Amino acid sequence: MAEEKKVLLEVKNLKQHFPIDGGGIFKKQIGAIRAVDGISFTVHEGETLGIVGESGCGKSTCIRSLSQLYKPTDGEVIFQGVDLCKADKKTLLRLRKDIQMIFQDPMASLDPRMTVRSIIAEPLNIYNRRGLLDHKWTVEEIEARVEYLMEKVGLNKTFKNRYPHEFSGGQRQRIGIARALALSPKIILADEPVSALDVSIQAQILNLISDLQKELGITFIFIAHDLAVIQHISDRVVVMYLGKVMEISKAEELYHNPKHPYTTALLSAAPIPDPVKERSRQRIILSGDVPSPDKERKGCYFYDRCPHRMEHCSCHIPPMFDVGPEHKVACWLYDPSVDKSKKK
Amino acid sequence: MLKRKKEQTVNEFNQVVVGNSLTKEAWKRLKKNRMAVFGMIVVIIYAIISFSASLLPIYPYDESVIDHQHLRPSLTKTSGELMLEQQYKNLYFKAWRAGRLVLTPEEDEMIEALILKNETNKVWDYLYSKGEAQREAGTFEFNSSEQKTIDKYVDKINTEIQITINTLYYMKDGKKLNLNKVDYDTLLALYCGEVKMDREVVETALTKEITSQVTNTVKANLGEDATQDDINSAVALEMENMSRKDFESKACESIIGKLETSAKRTIEKKLKEQIAESSVEFPYKGMYDVNDHISANINASLKHMRRYFLGTDYLGRDLLSRIIYGGQVSIAIGLIGTITSVIIGILVGAVAGYKGGKLDYYLMRFVDIMYGLPYMLLVIICMAIFGREIFNLFFALAMVSWLTIARMVRGQIMSLKNQEYVEAARSMGASTSHIILRHMVPNSLSVIIVYSTIRIPAFIMQESFLSFLGLGVQAPYASWGSLIGDGVTSMTLYPWKLICPSIAMIIFLFAMNFFGDGLRDAFDPQSKNQL
Repeated sequence: MAEEKKVLLEVKNLKQHFPIDGGGIFKKQIGAIRAVDGISFTVHEGETLGIVGESGCGKSTCIRSLSQLYKPTDGEVIFQGVDLCKADKKTLLRLRKDIQMIFQDPMASLDPRMTVRSIIAEPLNIYNRRGLLDHKWTVEEIEARVEYLMEKVGLNKTFKNRYPHEFSGGQRQRIGIARALALSPKIILADEPVSALDVSIQAQILNLISDLQKELGITFIFIAHDLAVIQHISDRVVVMYLGKVMEISKAEELYHNPKHPYTTALLSAAPIPDPVKERSRQRIILSGDVPSPDKERKGCYFYDRCPHRMEHCSCHIPPMFDVGPEHKVACWLYDPSVDKSKKK
Repeated sequence: MLKRKKEQTVNEFNQVVVGNSLTKEAWKRLKKNRMAVFGMIVVIIYAIISFSASLLPIYPYDESVIDHQHLRPSLTKTSGELMLEQQYKNLYFKAWRAGRLVLTPEEDEMIEALILKNETNKVWDYLYSKGEAQREAGTFEFNSSEQKTIDKYVDKINTEIQITINTLYYMKDGKKLNLNKVDYDTLLALYCGEVKMDREVVETALTKEITSQVTNTVKANLGEDATQDDINSAVALEMENMSRKDFESKACESIIGKLETSAKRTIEKKLKEQIAESSVEFPYKGMYDVNDHISANINASLKHMRRYFLGTDYLGRDLLSRIIYGGQVSIAIGLIGTITSVIIGILVGAVAGYKGGKLDYYLMRFVDIMYGLPYMLLVIICMAIFGREIFNLFFALAMVSWLTIARMVRGQIMSLKNQEYVEAARSMGASTSHIILRHMVPNSLSVIIVYSTIRIPAFIMQESFLSFLGLGVQAPYASWGSLIGDGVTSMTLYPWKLICPSIAMIIFLFAMNFFGDGLRDAFDPQSKNQL
C-alpha cells in the first residue's frame, strides 16, 4: 500500500466545545465541555478509517462535527477542497450529499412512523425537492432506486411497506445502511454501527459494509469501541483519548506494535478468544478514571493515568511524532530530546 | 378455506407485504378496551344526534307554547293530561285551604309542615291522591265554579288545534294550481272573489300596503336623522322606479299571506266542528278544502296532544329538543376550541422546542405570564369587550387554552430533537419545517390526540360555567350550561329542568373521559397501570 493515495477529507485542529450555562434568570457561560479538543487527521479515498477509544472520549462528537451536525468551535474540515465549517448553506447542502451517516441504535435512527420505503427514499426526496440531484427524479425512479438499495443491502423488497418495529436489529441496521447509500455518497460516517447488535449479526453487517465498500468504492470512517471489529474492518486506525488523538497508524501495525502507553493498555484489555492464551494474558490496568473534560489542559491529556509519566509530560502537550511509515504517536517517550529519567 | 388461501399468497415473492403502523396497533389495542369503545360509541351517538337535530322528529327548540309551562317529564301522558292534572292539584289545594277537602288532623299537620319546608311538590301530590280517592268514594265534590273551570279546561285541551299550512292550491275547473305559481291577475281576481270587493279597492289597498313597506325599509336605510321630506321623496322615487313585475310579485306575496291567514281561520273553525262531530282524527296530514276555490295542504294536530318526554321549561319549550340543540353548541365548542388551541399550541410549542435558545426562552416566559393571569377573568373580559356571541366564545376560550398544549408539545419536541432519526434527517439536509412536520409532529401526535380528548370535556365545562354565569350562549340558543343555569333557578319546584340536562352532560363527559383514557392506554401501552 505504498502508492500515493488521494486525500478525500482533511481534518485540521478540529475543536468542539459545549458551553456549560450557569443557573439564574440570565444565562451565562461558566465553562465548556471540551468533547473534541484539537484533532487532526486525513482520510484517503477508498479506505476505511477506524476510530477507537473508550466511552466518552469524543468519537461520536468528532463524527457529528465532521458532518456539521454540530457547528465546530474551531478548526477546519476540508472536503473536496472546501472548508465545511465556513461554507455557506447552499454549498454545505451540495457537499453534504456526499457525506452520509450510519447511526448506532438502528431502532432510534429510524422514524417509527415511516415505512421502510419512505425512510430510504427520504434523502432522495429531500435532494430532489431542492433540485440538487442530477435531474428531477420521477416517483417511479425513486421507487426503483429504493428497491435496488433494498436488494443491495440484503433486504427483501417486498417488505418496503413495513415499519421499522417489524424488523430485527440487523435488518434495521441494513435499512439504515440503505438510507445512507441512497444518494451514492463518497464517504460514509459510521457511528458504532454494530455495537447495538449481537455478535453473529455484527459479523453480517461488517461483511455487508466491506462488500459495499469493495463494490462501490465508498470511503468509511468507522467508530467502534470493539477493537476486534476495528482490526477486521479498517485500513488505518485513530486512537482517541479525552478529545485528543493519541496514535494514528495502519491497523496491522497498531495491533502488533502499539507505541503509545494508552494504546498498549487499551489493546491489553481486549480478551483473546483462546482460553489458554487468555489465561496468560498480561493486562495493563490503568489507575484512576477518565478525568472530566471540562477544564483546559497544559500537559499531556493522558498524564493522570499514564504508567510512564514524566515531569516533562505534565506541562507540555505532545505533538505527533513519526515512529514509522504512516505511524504517528502523541507521546513524549518518542522524542529523543526529552530527559526520560525524571519519572514521577 | 378462503382464509387459508389468502394467507398463502402473502408469501409469494412479488407481493408487497403490508406493514402495521404504530397507529394501526394502537387502534387494535383500543378496540380491546371495552370501556373506551363504549365511550367512543356514546360520543359518536351524541355527535350524530345533536348534529342531525334538524332532521329528527322533535319540536323546534325555540317554539314556546305558553300553556305548556313547567310540565313535568312523562313518557305516557300527553301535555293536555298533565295540564289537567296540574289544574286538579291547584283546585284540591284551594279546596283544602277552604276546608272543603277534609283530612285527618295528623295529615293536616303534616301538610302544614311540608308547606313550611317549601316542599310544594309533595303537598300537591299528596292532596291530589287524597282528593282523587275522596272523589271516587263520593265524600268530596267540586262545586259548580270549579266544575266550570275544569270543563273549560277539558274543552280547551280537546279542541285547540295547531295548523301549519304547507301550500295553498287554487281549484279551477277541476285542476289544482299552486298559488305560488299563479299569475297576479288570477290571484287578484280570486282574492276579490274571496273578500267580495271591487278590484280597484283591493288594488289601492295593496298599493298602500306596499308603500308603507317601502317606507319602512327606506327609514331603516336612512337612519334616524332623516327628515320627513327626505323620506317622502325617497319613497316616491322608489315607488316610481319599481317595475310592474316587482310590484306584482310583492302584491302576490301579500295576497297569499292574507289568504293563508283566512284559510287558517276557516280550517280551524271547520276542524272544531268536525271534532264536535268526532269525524276527524289527529294528527291530520294532507289536503283540506277551505272553500270551493281554495284547498290547502296542511299539517294539523291537537295542541295539547303533544308529548314532552323530558318536560318543558318556563316558556313551554320542549326540554328534549333544547338538550339536543344545546348539545350541538356544547360539542361544537369542545371540538372547535380544542382544534384551535391545538393548532396554536403545536405552532408555538414546535418552534420554541426546536429552535431553542432565546426564542424559546421568551416564548416560554410569555406562556408563564399568561399562566399567571386568571384565565376565566380573561375570557370574561374578552366576552364583555367583543360581545356575547358564540363565535367570540370560541375565540376567547381558544385564546387562553393553548398554553398547556404549547408547553407539552415543546417538551415532546425537545426530547425528540436529540433522537437519532432527527439527526439522521438533519444529516440528510432536511429543512427545519420538514423535520418538524414530517418527523416531530407525527411522533408527538399521539400525546396531542390523547391530551385533546381529555381537553374536550374541560372545554365543555368551561363553556357551561360561562353560560351558567350568563356570559355564554344567549337565548334562544341553548347549551347544556345555559340549560343547567336556567334549571337551577327553579330547582325545588321543577327539579327535572336541572336533572335532565345535567345527566345528558354527565354521560357525555364520562364517555369522553373513558375514551380519552383508552386512547392514552392504546397509544402508550407502558403507561397502563397493570400488575
